[in-house]
Amino acid sequence: MQPIKNPLGRVFIHLSIWVFVLYNSVPFVWTFLQSLKTKKQANSRTPLFWFEPTFEQYSELWLEKVPENFSVLVYTLIAILITLFLFSVIGKKLSISSVAIRLIILGTIVLMLLSIPLFVKTAEFYDYFVNTMIVAIGTVIISIGIASLSGYALSRYLGIAGVILIILALAFRSLPRMAFGLPYFWMGQISGLYDSNFLVIIALAAVNQPFAIYMLRSFFKDIPREIEEAAMVDGASRFEAFIKVIVPIMWPGIITTSLFTLVLVYHEFLLVRILTLKNWTLAVAMQQYLGGISDSGSLPLKSAAAVSAALPLLVVILFYQKHLIKGITAGSVKG
Amino acid sequence: MVTLMIVPLGLAVFIGLHRVSYSTFKNPVFVGLSNYLEVLSDPAFWDAVLWNILIILVVVPAHIILAFIAALILDQVTGPIRGFYLAAMLLPMIVVPVIGTVVFRQLFDPSGLIAWFFRVVLGERILFTETFMKALILIHSTWISTPFALVIFFAGLQMLPRDLIESASIDGANRIQQIRHIVIPQLRSLFLLNAILAVMDLLRLFDNVFVLTRMNPIFHSDTMQTYLYRIATTVKRLGKANAGAVLTVIIIMVVLIPFLIYMYREQIEER
Repeated sequence: MQPIKNPLGRVFIHLSIWVFVLYNSVPFVWTFLQSLKTKKQANSRTPLFWFEPTFEQYSELWLEKVPENFSVLVYTLIAILITLFLFSVIGKKLSISSVAIRLIILGTIVLMLLSIPLFVKTAEFYDYFVNTMIVAIGTVIISIGIASLSGYALSRYLGIAGVILIILALAFRSLPRMAFGLPYFWMGQISGLYDSNFLVIIALAAVNQPFAIYMLRSFFKDIPREIEEAAMVDGASRFEAFIKVIVPIMWPGIITTSLFTLVLVYHEFLLVRILTLKNWTLAVAMQQYLGGISDSGSLPLKSAAAVSAALPLLVVILFYQKHLIKGITAGSVKG
Repeated sequence: MVTLMIVPLGLAVFIGLHRVSYSTFKNPVFVGLSNYLEVLSDPAFWDAVLWNILIILVVVPAHIILAFIAALILDQVTGPIRGFYLAAMLLPMIVVPVIGTVVFRQLFDPSGLIAWFFRVVLGERILFTETFMKALILIHSTWISTPFALVIFFAGLQMLPRDLIESASIDGANRIQQIRHIVIPQLRSLFLLNAILAVMDLLRLFDNVFVLTRMNPIFHSDTMQTYLYRIATTVKRLGKANAGAVLTVIIIMVVLIPFLIYMYREQIEER
């Protein structure tokens, strides 16, 4: 559409867009404010917008007890983050390959997060966080491994069975979680795997598989057949052609699909809730801060839990927002 | 995919034929179809189905209209500020749904913003009655499913052929006419896609109902999924819950068949 030129119209457009922005973001901003208040301030009947922020809720959530040299540790953490940032800037100048930079940064951050308990006594919430990381990474690796092979096959095989499989994959996406959760629950009880990360990973990979296949197929379809045919003429087997020729071209598509799988796993509530007793992921861990039927729990603590559980994913998305939007549109607009 | 998906489904049908409780996992008793009949004659199950269908009938049109308007407005904004607006609008989609619901619900708690607004402007306290809870579920479902549709519409608007609109505006079509006669027909397939995806997601609505009602039965707002969850955990009858799960799968398939046939035709043509 052509832009509206009329100044009154421009004002109207910016006003109405702010209505939408507020509609979508006010709850989050409000919760963030709540998480920085003391219990008394949060429960006040007239909302407070200006107050002395306190971080006691966060420390109660993450730490068993606050160590004496806490400020030193925080400064070290900030220093490491700044070094990483500088490294990423300098690395670009020195023309180190961007994949290597990303891998180094990612590895350092993961190591840093895993080494936290060596220095500080952490509370339960940290265990949920580690669980979430294990489950998310495991699921992404398994389901992308299977889905890239089958998505590739489906994009190349043009028989009618291929179309039916794709439709089935889409239909399975809409199936209720309960229909999978309960059988997996039963299997877990029989085999003794109930409440283990392994069972959760298998179940989540199964549930997210169809979507990953569907999405990867739409990326694979864009790659011309001639490329792998050329590789096969040169003497590569079909599998070799796939690993050595197709996968390198497909990196953006695979990253996008992994990101989507990651988001879906992170969001999963019901399945993890059914399959675990205490080995929760962050989304499920939220429920213990909800309070009972009548009382509403500790407001600031609940808000702090919500903010801390949402932040890791938000940070990841922040770096890959372009991939996310591309992924949403890839399967839909292009057809 | 076949082993991971079909085997559990088959297992669900199989367990549905047995009487299984939490103490008798290893030796289920065969009871034939009685579990299925029991679910079918349970009025609570049909209430859940009807409520779920009502949610779909309200939320699908509401969120599509909202998302389309938002996308049209966002399309008018240019420059780097657009990225900021888009990111702010996508928040409900990126944040974990359970947390999104917690955050939303907080506004209505006695100390929340909207509750305060109600007290100051209308002089009334918010009471969590059944009607209010149902309205809240409808509003929240719309709120949380809008961003996804927004992204799809927005991408579609970017890809509209420019010359079509230019020639229309030269012919003297005003803005409303342009939208009515060019934009909407061009984006028809996106409207359909959004509808399909929303129906699929709403048919397995669970997270927000679970958090909003905290599974309190006084609200009578069970969807199909929360109904099954209730049977599996509070009544502790796995066989019946599995039978119910199989029945919901059948209901969902019946609802989806027209969409799936459409998709099938499209894929065959594309081939």
